[in-house]
Amino acid sequence: MRRQSPPTFIFIVSLILVFALFLGLLSGAVDIHPSKLLGLFSLSNMDMDHRILQTIRLPRVLLAALAGACLASCGAVMQGLFRNPLADPSLIGVSSGASVGASCVIFFGGASLVGSGVGLPAITIGAFIGGLMATSVVYRLATSVTGTSVSTMLLAGIAITALAGATTSLFSFFADNEMLRRISLWQMGNLDGADWPRVATLALVVVPLMLVLPREGQALNAMLLGESEARHLGVAVERLKRRLILLTALGVGVAVAVSGVVAFVGLIVPHLVRLLIGPDHRYLIPGSAILGAALLLLADTAARTLMSPAELPTGVLTALLGAPFFIGLLLQQRQKRVG
Amino acid sequence: MLEARQLSLSIAEFALLQNIDLQINPGKVTAILGPNGAGKTSLLRLLTGESLPSSGEVIFNGAPLSQWQPKQRAKILSVLPQGSQLNFPFTAREVVMMGRIPHATGLIKDTEIVDAALNAVGGSYLDKRFYTQMSGGEKQRVQLARVLAQIWEADVSGDRFLILDEPTSAFDLAHQQLTLKIVRDFACQGVGVLMVIHDLNLAAGCADQLVMLNCGQIAAQGTPEAVLTTEMIQNVFNVDASIGVHPKTGAPLVIV
Repeated sequence: MRRQSPPTFIFIVSLILVFALFLGLLSGAVDIHPSKLLGLFSLSNMDMDHRILQTIRLPRVLLAALAGACLASCGAVMQGLFRNPLADPSLIGVSSGASVGASCVIFFGGASLVGSGVGLPAITIGAFIGGLMATSVVYRLATSVTGTSVSTMLLAGIAITALAGATTSLFSFFADNEMLRRISLWQMGNLDGADWPRVATLALVVVPLMLVLPREGQALNAMLLGESEARHLGVAVERLKRRLILLTALGVGVAVAVSGVVAFVGLIVPHLVRLLIGPDHRYLIPGSAILGAALLLLADTAARTLMSPAELPTGVLTALLGAPFFIGLLLQQRQKRVG
Repeated sequence: MLEARQLSLSIAEFALLQNIDLQINPGKVTAILGPNGAGKTSLLRLLTGESLPSSGEVIFNGAPLSQWQPKQRAKILSVLPQGSQLNFPFTAREVVMMGRIPHATGLIKDTEIVDAALNAVGGSYLDKRFYTQMSGGEKQRVQLARVLAQIWEADVSGDRFLILDEPTSAFDLAHQQLTLKIVRDFACQGVGVLMVIHDLNLAAGCADQLVMLNCGQIAAQGTPEAVLTTEMIQNVFNVDASIGVHPKTGAPLVIV
């Protein structure tokens, strides 16, 4: 595939993101006329449409964009760190650990509780703690005196994911029907609980992440050459690995906590961006963030509108749309290699 | 100067290297020879700080290697490991450009250096080609250009060193000769070169100093004439060889 120039690409995906933002704000169970957006933040003007925009649409749209940006850029970082274009943020156990945390809270009846003070539901907090715990176990298993072994980390991640999957299954097995439904809905990835506290929590992590991650672009490029090559280029490899694993675990952990397991964004978006502009992380990370935000936003808008007024789980839609697209991409690449 | 002082390395009670004393001088080419498993790569890993010795120390430009800041060291010590794991579609130019990561010389200067380095390895035509689609020899040339670009110019931090682990393994005859010529050119600019090489005659033709490793110890060290003798090759490789003289260069010629 011919490469696009990175600035042009980033300009185009930014336009797509802006378009997706407006589309997300205006469409849904109730379609809102664009003129209503003008008075969005005036407090005096409180008709129905404005209330929908302020309390439902805007937080949801922002949550989708932030989660998408976070998952996609963390995916790009993971793929670089593991030197594997098939790596996914879930590889280090974040998603499966979060599932255990969430189903544990649902099972023990905390689902309706709101965590003290911060205004976040107990499920979100449980998921976040579960995700971080799983990642820290994976990280510890892979770290010895000689440093962190990336390949051991992959294996440990697979083992912990299996263990966490079994634990979640156990909770599901003993759960009653209502709990079971909640657990499986959570695992499908859903943004329907969007509110301002969640947006604020996610923004608190994602915005700094977006500022920090692209700075590691050059060091990640060197890592693709190999760990010893990176070391000989002056990269403090162990420190870089520790920092990036921590940052991505935090980012993915909080994204999964507020939105459930949204499949495929972290894998497919960086892959797609790499095909279009090449593997240079200085552009790959911001490019993935913007495209990830736009795609998750579009998928979520589709999830809200396709069967309106009913909603599909967002994670189901991202996989339903993402997988065929990804297969198409693979086929196209294969043809290119043959032809 | 890059200097090994009484270096030993054991892993799980198995002694890989014992009491290695070695000096790599600026402006000279040193070649490490020896049979498979003699400890050549282990020695390079110690000398480049990639692993730490069980005892002894490595002195780099007057200070222990471990005390150098990674960024500072990378400006004057450039290392080409064996093989490469890169499987992302960077272009040759992008790969060579990574050699400039330790420096802050600006894009214009870096572009000039990358052009020159690619040209030096005969790889200018690879410029925009994808690394993943190159042949083994082309990949090795691009990697060589990358490590050359890293120490292309003298730096205030100290003498420059170039360390190459089997740089010619994937090369045809012409590119082997080209590599040795590049190595010589760098040495003439005052760069200390250390390389592991398997071909005894290539080593004899270009190195000032040969180091023969056997079972983790230095079996012989000195000029090619002093090291490449019938007895030494019999002892180390268990091969019966004759030593001739290269008709043009006068270097020793090992005939098996």
